[in-house]
Amino acid sequence: MEEVRIGVYICDCGANIAGTVDTKKVTEYAQGLDSVVVARNYKYMCSDPGQNLIKDDIREKKLNRVVVASCSPRMHEPTFRRAVQDAGINQYYFQMANIREQCSWVHENKEMATEKAKALVEAAVHRVVFHEPLQTKEVAVNPNVMVVGGGIAGIQAALEIADAGKKVYLVEKEPSIGGHMAMFDKTFPTLDCAACILTPKMTTVGQHPNINLLSYSEVEEVSGFVGNFKAKIKRKARYVDETKCTGCGECSKVCPVHVDNEFDVGLSQRSAAYIQSPYAVPNKAVIDKKGNSPCRVACPAGVNAHAYVALISQGKFKEALEVVRKSIPLAGVVGRVCYHPCEGECERATVDEGLTIRDLKRFVADYEMKIGREKAGPAEITKEDRVAVVGSGPAGLACAFDLIKKGYRVTVFEKSEKAGGLMRYGIPNFKLPENIVDNEIEYIKELGVEIQTGTAVKDIARLFNQGYKAVFLGTGAGKNHKLGIPNEDNQNVFPALSFLYKINSGDKISIGDRVIVIGGGNMAVESARAAWRLGARDVTVVYRKSEAEIPASDSEVEEALNEGIKFKYSTAANEIIVRDGKVSGVKCISEEKGQQSAEFVLDADSVINAVGQEIDKTELPGEMAYSDLGYLQVDPITLESNISGVFAGGENVAGQLDVIASVAAGKAAAESIGRYLSGVDMREGRSDNMPRVSNIKKDKVKPKSRVAMPKLELSKRQGNYHEVDLGFDESTAIEEAKRCLNCAVCSECMLCEKACEADAIKHDMKEQTLEIEIGSIIVATGFQQFDPEVMYNYGYNRFDDVLTGLEFERLSNASGPTDGVVIKKNGEKPQSVAILHCVGSRDENYHKHCSRVCCMYSLKYSHLLREKLPDADIYQLYIDMRCPGSGYEEFYLRLQEEGVNFVRGRAAEVTNTAETPEEQGKLIVLCEDTLVRKKIRLPVDMVILSCALEPSEGSAQIGKVLSISKKADGFFLEKHPKLDPVSTMTDGIFIAGCCQGPKDIPDTVAQASAAAARALAMISMNKVEIEAATSEIIDELCSGCRICNTLCPYGAITFNEAKGISEINQVLCKGCGVCVSACPSNAIKGNHFTTKQLIAEIEGVLA
Amino acid sequence: MGKTQSMNFVKEVSQVLGGEGVNLCMQCGTCTASCPSAHIWEYTPSEIIAMVRAEMRDEVLSSSSMWCCLSCYSCTVRCPRDVEPTNLFHALESLAVKHGYKPKNTSTPVMYKNFVKSIKKNGRVSEFQMMMGYYMSTNPFAALGMISVAWNLLSHGRMPLSAKKIKGKKDLDKIIKKLNEVRGAQ
Repeated sequence: MEEVRIGVYICDCGANIAGTVDTKKVTEYAQGLDSVVVARNYKYMCSDPGQNLIKDDIREKKLNRVVVASCSPRMHEPTFRRAVQDAGINQYYFQMANIREQCSWVHENKEMATEKAKALVEAAVHRVVFHEPLQTKEVAVNPNVMVVGGGIAGIQAALEIADAGKKVYLVEKEPSIGGHMAMFDKTFPTLDCAACILTPKMTTVGQHPNINLLSYSEVEEVSGFVGNFKAKIKRKARYVDETKCTGCGECSKVCPVHVDNEFDVGLSQRSAAYIQSPYAVPNKAVIDKKGNSPCRVACPAGVNAHAYVALISQGKFKEALEVVRKSIPLAGVVGRVCYHPCEGECERATVDEGLTIRDLKRFVADYEMKIGREKAGPAEITKEDRVAVVGSGPAGLACAFDLIKKGYRVTVFEKSEKAGGLMRYGIPNFKLPENIVDNEIEYIKELGVEIQTGTAVKDIARLFNQGYKAVFLGTGAGKNHKLGIPNEDNQNVFPALSFLYKINSGDKISIGDRVIVIGGGNMAVESARAAWRLGARDVTVVYRKSEAEIPASDSEVEEALNEGIKFKYSTAANEIIVRDGKVSGVKCISEEKGQQSAEFVLDADSVINAVGQEIDKTELPGEMAYSDLGYLQVDPITLESNISGVFAGGENVAGQLDVIASVAAGKAAAESIGRYLSGVDMREGRSDNMPRVSNIKKDKVKPKSRVAMPKLELSKRQGNYHEVDLGFDESTAIEEAKRCLNCAVCSECMLCEKACEADAIKHDMKEQTLEIEIGSIIVATGFQQFDPEVMYNYGYNRFDDVLTGLEFERLSNASGPTDGVVIKKNGEKPQSVAILHCVGSRDENYHKHCSRVCCMYSLKYSHLLREKLPDADIYQLYIDMRCPGSGYEEFYLRLQEEGVNFVRGRAAEVTNTAETPEEQGKLIVLCEDTLVRKKIRLPVDMVILSCALEPSEGSAQIGKVLSISKKADGFFLEKHPKLDPVSTMTDGIFIAGCCQGPKDIPDTVAQASAAAARALAMISMNKVEIEAATSEIIDELCSGCRICNTLCPYGAITFNEAKGISEINQVLCKGCGVCVSACPSNAIKGNHFTTKQLIAEIEGVLA
Repeated sequence: MGKTQSMNFVKEVSQVLGGEGVNLCMQCGTCTASCPSAHIWEYTPSEIIAMVRAEMRDEVLSSSSMWCCLSCYSCTVRCPRDVEPTNLFHALESLAVKHGYKPKNTSTPVMYKNFVKSIKKNGRVSEFQMMMGYYMSTNPFAALGMISVAWNLLSHGRMPLSAKKIKGKKDLDKIIKKLNEVRGAQ
């Protein structure tokens, strides 16, 4: 080994080091250390003469190792490495001792600091002996740049690079670029209109051949290293084909959904299909679709409740009914008798009350009947096969409806005189008038479904012989259960089914005064109410279980109670007492929990048995198989019975069902039959897991109760079967529909699809991932406005006319919600306005930092107010006016000249509690005028909160993706706060604009240009140097355990299967040393940080 | 007022328990604007802090301002600089007492003294003894005006004439002793 000859250079750094460390003594000490040939001390070692000292010594004194004791290696290691290299020795034969940041700056005692400096120097001297010559590597730089964020910073950076002839990917998460600046009204201090100076740039970006604008996209993953990054970009589904969309806005005009418009910070509404602003780039529509609304997911028959509610809210009743009819033909029926699972899931219930979704559906059906229905055109028959449906209840009709829409010829066979099944014969008219059923059956007929009434079908083979290729049995459960108690066959005991059948057929029945109904379902309560209408004066429902367990719907029971029906709960009927061949009463036993059972007799003239239904096997074909429960046995998914081609669903399979569940069964069977006839697998993809939307926005919803259903007066209900629920009128329906929260935003009503002439709407679009390769990245993710709601004392969101800065920008903007007229929520012009500075800024409780721009934008607001409201009193409540910038102080002076009242004091509170008549109806701002030491109360009409700028919501995520650090205030950390404010600690990633800290537009543009220049510099160098201090694997020692493979944070280690050992990609390796410490066989060497070097350094410190 | 000084008073205040925040104040006036009694303060809350910073020792310590503090803590909740003005005002009170200042137009110090005296004696406040002590050392005739209130309280059993001592009075004595040691050490 050659002789080690070390030169040691101690820097004074002016007084920075020499003020605390006796550099002369340190130099003397270094001179005496082993292998040190020369030790020198100089005022500024980093200066040219300083560096020349080192270079000359290397040449003249044949040095082969150099130690410099000065500042942090972060600062000047590259400087000295270069000097050493220039003088002809390998740059890694150099070691730096930090005696400034780690010594002189942090100590006060000169003597001890000097001792510490000696130790640090000695450590470096010991270490440098073992240094090895290493070679740096160079890699090519990919000339493409990715800019993240399309605000003014991103736009500027993208344009600079694109204009230099390089390719840029500009990624923006919103549908349009422009960021916050596009929302502003005027810009301080020159008062140019923000849009006027920004839109030309936005358009240029949109048209620039070198810019690939990826709007509505987010960066998901970034890998690689300086010069060679790979990024995965999530392109959110726009549901609009960007290549076809012409930006005409027709989709947004027809869209029935209205939600808060983010671009107007919630001051206006936008539709689900929308173009972000009049000057959006790209000028393409986007459909805001968050998933499936809860109501829609809840419907067993898949009716898109959200869509028809949204359409009703816009008065589009006809279109709403069309939406219902896409799924089911029975809007009027289901709109009356459905048990509305949709309402149970309605998210509005978490705010106040769920919507009356069912009643809205009924409304559109009624509305059509009122204005007259156009005859439905026959559905196009596209298939040759014919299908027979047996039974015309809800299941049969729904099945027939779906089949004819699929193009099959369908014949429905009904044994009764009229079609409709239980809808017609099992539900009394006061709940479901017959004409509703007639109308909907007529509609189904008009579509082309043939209905043969009075035709019982028992012979399936005959149907097949007649040419039907498949059969659906929707025969229901038309037989009343027996009570199983003595005397139930008496003439005064009516099974509910036949009782209701008679009533609905208009037959006369004599039931007497006192009626007892046994059972607790809807049919029991309906029978009781029918009996009351027939003239019975004393009607009692006897139910076996408790009140809480009654299966009849709450509204049904409530209405029955209104009509004077009595309920006996936990009571079982034991025997029907007959005297002289007539019913005289029912012997009951009450079995209340925890009480002795008691027997008693209820007097009665007749009894209605409403304990349930079962299927009548005699009416069904003989070859059918039955389940243990006595119902038809079918496959639970396909609904196919034991006979191929024969399907069944509804009550004959499941027992007593709600109408909607029968409809759902009919629809499922239709799907199976379609698949069966076209030879498609009947099971595939039929699990019903429609995902329900989460994160529903409802924090700003003002409570409003649901609209009550108007009812027929009690006195008008007896002696007839007039419908009790009268239905909504148009305005009530709209009012109720407007309460919808639009959970999923887009309701998929599909009106936009019809309206779009360019055929650009694609509701089935999926989000895509794009992979791009770039050499450098510029992060320009901007800021967000502090939400002042947490500062309760300022009353934001409690008082109408307390606005945030951004809200005022939109209010004052000609393209804003009021076309630029400044008005209060009630429409009046404000006579006085207070602008409160430092809201959330300079505040230990929220943000410690000064947001830099608030003083200036507050001045701008004052000016705009003065312009629009010349007579208004304008107050600025400030702590310090901070107006540093070109023309800024002059602007302050101008506002003073314009007569704005400047009050030096921070507002403590905004209240509406008036103490004097003048304060009545005003917002009163409490503050101290600190210049005259007086506590004052300012009554004003409007308060504007100049809110802090804080890091944008997504910046934490993008920081994680890019591995760039944040400062304590949450903004991105720059490499050096003064000398390198556009770089990050990660090479090749630059920052610009407010993501680095609050700043105004001029500073943002300057920083964006600077970041672009840095990226361009890298590109024009064509290559970058890679640090040589990386880890390497000593092949012979590696056991192939692969522990290091998963530990490497940079993905630099892979396993070579052929050799059975791990390998490190020297370009990806950052030399962090994790693998070195983890390797169980010491097979990894951390270059420039070898064990030898580190031990020597420690020994040096301790020597 | 007005003599230019070395910064002794600010330092003194900042070293008293509760006075640490005095240097952080940026004179925004939030404390004054939040203070429900600011209108009766001789100097407003923010002004008294400014006066401390201006080394106006005599004017501050002899003022009645801080004695008007009701300890509602509104200022402390809202102060953007964590000055904790409530604690600061109480620190000024204790400094004033320590150095024998007699504030004008307020008998709050006397009330405080009688309150503490009652606690030290019984471990709890005896309203009767405290108020008797207060009126005796301020204006005994003022007590006459309170007779009907006192009678009402007495007849409802809300103001016993004799004070009951708490359990563990000796432990409380130890706590008070320790407290005095700590304060003495400051």
